[in-house]
Amino acid sequence: MTYILNRLLSVMLTLFLITLVTFGVTNILPGDVAMMIMGTQSNPEALAGLRESLGLNDPLAVQYGRWVGGMLTGDWGTSLIFKQPIAELLIQKAAASAVIVVMSMTIALTLAVPLGVWAAVHRDRWQDGVSSTAALMGVSLPDFFWGIVMILVFARGLGWFPSSGFVDPAEDLAGTLRHAFLPSLALGLGLMAHLTRMTRSTMTGILGQEFIRVARAKGLSERTVVWRYGLANAIGPVITIAGLQIGYLFGSIIVMEFLFSYTGMGWLTYQALLNRDLPLIQATVFVIAAVVMLTNLAVDLLYVLIDPRIRLG
Amino acid sequence: MRRFLTFKGVVGLTLLTLIALVAIVGPLIVPPEAATAMDMTARRAPPSLRYWFGTDQLGRDLVARVILGARTSLEIAVAAVAMSIVLGLPLGMISGYFGGRTDNVLMRLVDTLLAFPALLLALTISAVLGPNVQNTIIAIGIAFTPFLARIIRGEALRVAQMPYVEAARASGTTDAMIMLRHVLPNIMPAVIVQATISLAFAILAEAGLSFLGLGTQPPAASWGLMIQASRDQLDIAPWTALVPGLAVALTVLALNMFGDVLRDVLDPRAK
Repeated sequence: MTYILNRLLSVMLTLFLITLVTFGVTNILPGDVAMMIMGTQSNPEALAGLRESLGLNDPLAVQYGRWVGGMLTGDWGTSLIFKQPIAELLIQKAAASAVIVVMSMTIALTLAVPLGVWAAVHRDRWQDGVSSTAALMGVSLPDFFWGIVMILVFARGLGWFPSSGFVDPAEDLAGTLRHAFLPSLALGLGLMAHLTRMTRSTMTGILGQEFIRVARAKGLSERTVVWRYGLANAIGPVITIAGLQIGYLFGSIIVMEFLFSYTGMGWLTYQALLNRDLPLIQATVFVIAAVVMLTNLAVDLLYVLIDPRIRLG
Repeated sequence: MRRFLTFKGVVGLTLLTLIALVAIVGPLIVPPEAATAMDMTARRAPPSLRYWFGTDQLGRDLVARVILGARTSLEIAVAAVAMSIVLGLPLGMISGYFGGRTDNVLMRLVDTLLAFPALLLALTISAVLGPNVQNTIIAIGIAFTPFLARIIRGEALRVAQMPYVEAARASGTTDAMIMLRHVLPNIMPAVIVQATISLAFAILAEAGLSFLGLGTQPPAASWGLMIQASRDQLDIAPWTALVPGLAVALTVLALNMFGDVLRDVLDPRAK
């Protein structure tokens, strides 16, 4: 109980610090938000009026308080470029990105775990070499390069998948998945590389342990030894690493959604940054950081469920 | 030294030397005008004897652009990593060496920064400061600082518990002196390994930022910018994307291979 309470307090503190960092980073802005909205040609009186009504003349602490207070009461402000309530925009776009996040993680894990296990079982032989080389290539290629290759091969060349756009799942679920597939595959391949390396090294460690030798000596089939004994013990660390990759994924998603004109959270963040839509920048940056932090927390808790050796104290 | 002579080590180091040579010597041979000179009669010309890597939508020679792009990308990456070391080294060292409350406060801050994806943080800083080469360096440098600070802190924590540090403390050496004379030299191997790996990430980050239009600005040559420009002509001129894409991939691959071997040699515990 104390553990959960401590953990909750720590989450609240981190969320508070995330708001501070977000506000701090966006307020080193040398530009003038009012001028951004009205353009450089607008008359000074109108600018001063807008500045007053946006509260830009108030001290930073007051502006910060208003921002956090607004978020707490559900008023996230209005986007300057979309002229739409930010909360509404965020919900829409986050749903679109969730499809990509889940899909790319699924692709990455289904490829990385068998590949990593395969490499660990055949350690220091050609299979290991193939897997390590593939992983090294995957880590080294920028994921937007994968994206471009995907567009060239699967969209322009073979015509199997659309090269850009997003379809609302409420209208056409199959269409949503088809549009999300290529960006997810490109992201998944980058993620896969990291996860394969992790799976291999964790599995190598476990396969060298005493209980594996005992299992083999008992005459259990190699398949049972590797998958039931080996992987069952390796999956915890692998999932932890997968969870830590969420941060990386949310960075890459900005590039990928831009490349595929997929109108999700990454695309929204990019539009906000490009057009210096300050309220929208603050909201998207805060939400992404908060989601990354909460995902890491969820993974920690999941780990406890998967691995009974860990007791919360 | 012998441990460097693995396949990975040799290939990585050779590639890296070649790329560094291209970035340093290239601009002396290829005049900057060559990268912006347009040949309207040879727009989107495929690779040929005249244009080895082909030309882009404005008829600019991709060989010259890739070579000058190497300079931009490496310059930004090296400066950004240097900046993150300058910021992260004292932060991590103080945190790890003193421990206790100092450590708690500093690492809480670092952990908060780690919740922001590095690319998002870099993009935000670059957008806020206004995109140009200098601000790209600042953006990537700040975005990478928490990672370095975390790793340096772990190393400093380990070294601070060594008997020779205790001995120095017992003999009345000041904390600043101990950090400078005993902690710093002993965490250097880990810092060097991490810097090499960070360089690979910095190259990717610069390419990503420029690709999104929030890094290096045209008409300068940068690999990320070249890939961005190729977006609208993928089906008619795929080489405009593949040439800079492979340049990024090769550089990052070389850094990763070299970093892996460097880690095995300098920091065997981390294996």
